[in-house]
Amino acid sequence: MQESAYFDKYSPISGVWDEMYGQNALVRDHYRKVIEYISGESADDLNKKEELAKRLFMSQGITFTVYNSGEGIEKIFPFDIIPRIITGDEWAFVEKGIKQRLTALNLFLKDVYNNQFIIKDGIVPIDIIYSCPHFLREMYQLQVPYDIYVHISGIDLIRDHDGTFYVLEDNLRTPSGVSYMLENREITKRLFPDLLPKCGVRSVTGYPSILYKNLLALSPRQINNPTIVLLTPGIYNSAYFEHTTLARLMGVELVEGRDLVVNNHKVYMKTTTGLQQVDVIYRRVDDEYLDPLVFNPGSMLGVAGLMGAYRKGNVAIVNAIGTGVADDKAVYVYVPDMIRYYLNEEPILKNVPTHQLGNPDERALVFKNINNMVIKKTNGSGGYGMLMGHAATEKEIEDYKLEVLKDPRNFIAQPTISLSAAPCYMQGELKPRRVDLRPYALYGPSGIEIVPGGLTRVALKEGSLVVNSSQGGGSKDTWVLA
Amino acid sequence: MLSRVAASFYWLSRYIERSDGMLRMLKINYASSQDAMQEFTWEPVIRIFAGSGEEETEKLENNSRAVLKYMVIGKDNPNSIVNIITLARENARGVQEHIPKDLWQCLNEYYHTVKETRLERALQREDPIGTLDVLIKQVMLYYGTAEITMERGEGRSFMNIGKYLERAIQSVDILDTKFGSIDDNPDLLTDTSYWKHLLQSLGGYELYLKTYREGFESSNILEQVVLNNDFPRSVIYSVNNIQRYFDRLKDDSNLEDYREMSFQIGRLQSRIKYSSVRTIEEEGLHLFLTQIRKELYGIGNSLNEHYFANS
Repeated sequence: MQESAYFDKYSPISGVWDEMYGQNALVRDHYRKVIEYISGESADDLNKKEELAKRLFMSQGITFTVYNSGEGIEKIFPFDIIPRIITGDEWAFVEKGIKQRLTALNLFLKDVYNNQFIIKDGIVPIDIIYSCPHFLREMYQLQVPYDIYVHISGIDLIRDHDGTFYVLEDNLRTPSGVSYMLENREITKRLFPDLLPKCGVRSVTGYPSILYKNLLALSPRQINNPTIVLLTPGIYNSAYFEHTTLARLMGVELVEGRDLVVNNHKVYMKTTTGLQQVDVIYRRVDDEYLDPLVFNPGSMLGVAGLMGAYRKGNVAIVNAIGTGVADDKAVYVYVPDMIRYYLNEEPILKNVPTHQLGNPDERALVFKNINNMVIKKTNGSGGYGMLMGHAATEKEIEDYKLEVLKDPRNFIAQPTISLSAAPCYMQGELKPRRVDLRPYALYGPSGIEIVPGGLTRVALKEGSLVVNSSQGGGSKDTWVLA
Repeated sequence: MLSRVAASFYWLSRYIERSDGMLRMLKINYASSQDAMQEFTWEPVIRIFAGSGEEETEKLENNSRAVLKYMVIGKDNPNSIVNIITLARENARGVQEHIPKDLWQCLNEYYHTVKETRLERALQREDPIGTLDVLIKQVMLYYGTAEITMERGEGRSFMNIGKYLERAIQSVDILDTKFGSIDDNPDLLTDTSYWKHLLQSLGGYELYLKTYREGFESSNILEQVVLNNDFPRSVIYSVNNIQRYFDRLKDDSNLEDYREMSFQIGRLQSRIKYSSVRTIEEEGLHLFLTQIRKELYGIGNSLNEHYFANS
């Protein structure tokens, strides 16, 4: 059956789930309209669209700065123009799975910082918790509003060769990238006029207002117009663009640590008319830097005394401090057990099988099969410090093993999962490239809401399985169909 | 408004205004160097705008191309155009959600123009006046965009206070330096091109010709640059505008802070307003300018203390 010139030349990777290429060499139904649309465009037109996308990103300053020998260089996060499409059914499944998982993780945080039933009942071993650098004793018995710890999460999902969804990581600290979900959609509107409504793509524009509504509900003062701020590390942070975007979209003040001051266990911001009390802080500064009196004393990004104000309940902090203990990769192993323990349900989304290298038997097994393994640091992020067994040299493997043996608790290993592939537009042709999916879940007093969409990250290098932007990854607009 | 945001507006504006003054000064001095019979000295320009050490100044002062490089793209000169525009942009970035997108893009473009690698070659090999004009046009674009797009609120008031404070300080510095040189070299007093270039670098040459018919008189120049309220780079015009935009902050201010600063600005305004060329000359120009400069710095310090929370 004739599909299109672009599709005919498309050769999916064998043994990999392809988001577009279905059985019997046919386009999956949900990709059909898009393929029809782009088939009507010449390669020239598509190149122009690609150019337009780049220009829109650059002129709107949707860039991050790479500092090199004292000079800042503006870069854009690579964007592929072909959307990644998720069917309504797939989304319903993912949504249900994330809600379940997030509910359990949140209960876990409440438990681990209060009664610790899950440890006492022997579900999660005590040493895993207490050896985690993100487990903060300062949070012990600190009451957070509505018992919500993880207001914003970005759980990373991947799909195995048969299309099954797996959770790769739970990002529960300060997940970033949501501005790209919003901006990518705005760009797609310009690139493919009228295509979005024709395909029945669900809107993502509600994100800022849902977040704002949730932040508003957390205000400790019952007043008409509480002060909500977004705390950024400042203009040199690579996600600074996202911070300004979110502040602008929600109409809240964007502040840096030096704009805030704590007096008598209350947080104030310094304004031209004097001090103004702050009620809710959506912080994009890591726990460690939040309060130099309690955490890293060298931090210039935080606010001295913030933890005291938080403990007194005079300010709400989003996400709560100390959530990192729940997205530690050694704790990740126990998430399915948490779901069974707290909710008495079977996990909807699967975990990737994970070996803890702290356990000598598992370590031996992993070292034996190291070519089929991915080894990661339990508290790493951004794709740094990983070993991809199938692609590493002999020497890299030996060096990494030595590194692991210094402190095995800090490492886990997972079998190499073959991420699913989606078509990308590359110099006039469609080529399959590996993708993941990060939906953003917002947990407020009225429950968990997930905007239908998310960030699809894509490994633009042929054969690469690493989608992180710091490692040459790009992104796609993510469509969820009605 | 956040104190940091107000301070960023103020500094953003000071840097832009400084770059404007510098570029004009460089352009006119370069043109003037082409007229010079004897060796042309850049010493006053370097002194006003770079504040470099004597050693550095001596190395540069007679080499026009080297001065241009140092003043426009010199990375080790903290007051070079490239460095102050980088600072201006960083201030703007810190208040990005408070300024119109157009203005941000405009400043961004100015920054990228200054950063372009071609600029060095153009300054060294090609016509420097054309190159400086390209940069001056960027400043003009910025001012036009700001005028049209900026919300008439607190932010703009801080911007304009910064702009006029910087301008007043520049005019005072230029006068002080230029009139100071006469003490060392009285011949300059009758040197037409000396005064012409001074007026041109302040953009006041045409106004002068229209106002005074009797040729270049130092007292007339003094009158125009200090006391003529129709001259947009005069000290009195700048101070009147500082007062004007500060007044608009009244409703957004803490009353006590406002009163204290209002008094300070009013005092300076009266000091200039009720001076004449005669009284200034009696008092001594250098002394007069030194006092005005001190008052202007004082206003900057008070803003820091009362509005920018840097006390």
